[in-house]
Amino acid sequence: MNLLADVVAPSPLVLDGLVVGAILFALGLVGILARRNLIVMFLCAELMLQGISVSLVSWSRHHGDWGGHVLVIFVLTVAACEAAVALVFVLQAFARTGRLDSAAWQSLRESNLSRTIDHELPAIDTVPLKFPRLSPAGIEPAADEDAALEREHV
Amino acid sequence: MIASILPSVSPGTLLAGGVTATAASLWLLLPGGRSGAADRTACWLGWLLGIVALASFIATGHRLGNVGEEAVFLTVALVAVISGAATVVSRSPVYAAIWFAMALAGVSGVLLVLGGQFLGVATIVVYAGAILVMFLFVLMLAQPAGLAPYDRVSNEPLLAAVAGAVLLGILSLSIGRLTAEPPACCLMGSTKAALLADTAAAEPTTAAAAGIDMLADNHVARLGGELFGRHLLAVEVAGVLLLVALIGSIAIVSRGAADAESAAARRAVP
Repeated sequence: MNLLADVVAPSPLVLDGLVVGAILFALGLVGILARRNLIVMFLCAELMLQGISVSLVSWSRHHGDWGGHVLVIFVLTVAACEAAVALVFVLQAFARTGRLDSAAWQSLRESNLSRTIDHELPAIDTVPLKFPRLSPAGIEPAADEDAALEREHV
Repeated sequence: MIASILPSVSPGTLLAGGVTATAASLWLLLPGGRSGAADRTACWLGWLLGIVALASFIATGHRLGNVGEEAVFLTVALVAVISGAATVVSRSPVYAAIWFAMALAGVSGVLLVLGGQFLGVATIVVYAGAILVMFLFVLMLAQPAGLAPYDRVSNEPLLAAVAGAVLLGILSLSIGRLTAEPPACCLMGSTKAALLADTAAAEPTTAAAAGIDMLADNHVARLGGELFGRHLLAVEVAGVLLLVALIGSIAIVSRGAADAESAAARRAVP
């Protein structure tokens, strides 16, 4: 009475797709939990969504129907809406505090949690970039006043 | 499985080692408030441990049989996973966004291999083309020059890395059990077995049984037929959702601007 003979085990490709989806989801989870920059946290949420998409398409291949594909299309739609609204929130938060730090909003925490204090920040690790120096030649161009607006580091 | 080539290492040991290496490597890679040479050493060590973890996950995986297919899948999957890890651990948010674009390229490759032709292209167009560019716009508007202090420290990096690695281990275990024999409890003449048999009879579980080949012609046309046939109402709802999100974000911007100005004035007074 092997009633389960009809239930076919997933193919190796489906299993590997599921593993890739799980790894992407776990990486995004670590980023959400650990990072403090609001935009990086949001990127990590998108990474979790990508893991879910890979898993859905794997299951869709296993079952041979279109349900997973249709769900991924809706995931894309909702991600676009989410990005629009969340980035507006991030911009508003930046306008109010001047920082993209999630700890700038720690007054919203539970009353039994302790305050996040950055005790000792590491020194800024700037490795000076080495560019080849070319010997000047030709006529010196006029000074570019836009050059003062450029950042030296992103 | 490679585990059969190396009989001394059981798959369980391999998975446990992979989970431990994942946790340690993520902890070393996350911005931990180290400075200078210590940070660089930790990064090198973290990437090395990450490669060990990836190798053990590949070893616990399954061989696809076809060498070409396996090489393509392994390449795009490695691109996706390594770029995803770099997204999470990048100090600069701009680099994180660029690495995320790379991860999207890998994910769309995985989707293509899995038979989602439309989704692979749509991921690139919608995510990398639209959403990621929006991220970069916001970064250019909001990012201060230089590395901010909050980009150089993490919230509880050790606990976060362990949580992610344990979740990954549990998921891998449950995925690995999909290939195993059904447990004896389900083989009893219980209602569960009858239920399983019912569902198995009602909807065939393999692509071959269903008679749908994902890689056949007219893939996009048939996906569109499914989307606008069975899921027409959901498509309408998604359109309304997009409209609401658009109106909502405009409303938040226009109302929040005045509040932000007053808040900034309040901050400037003392």
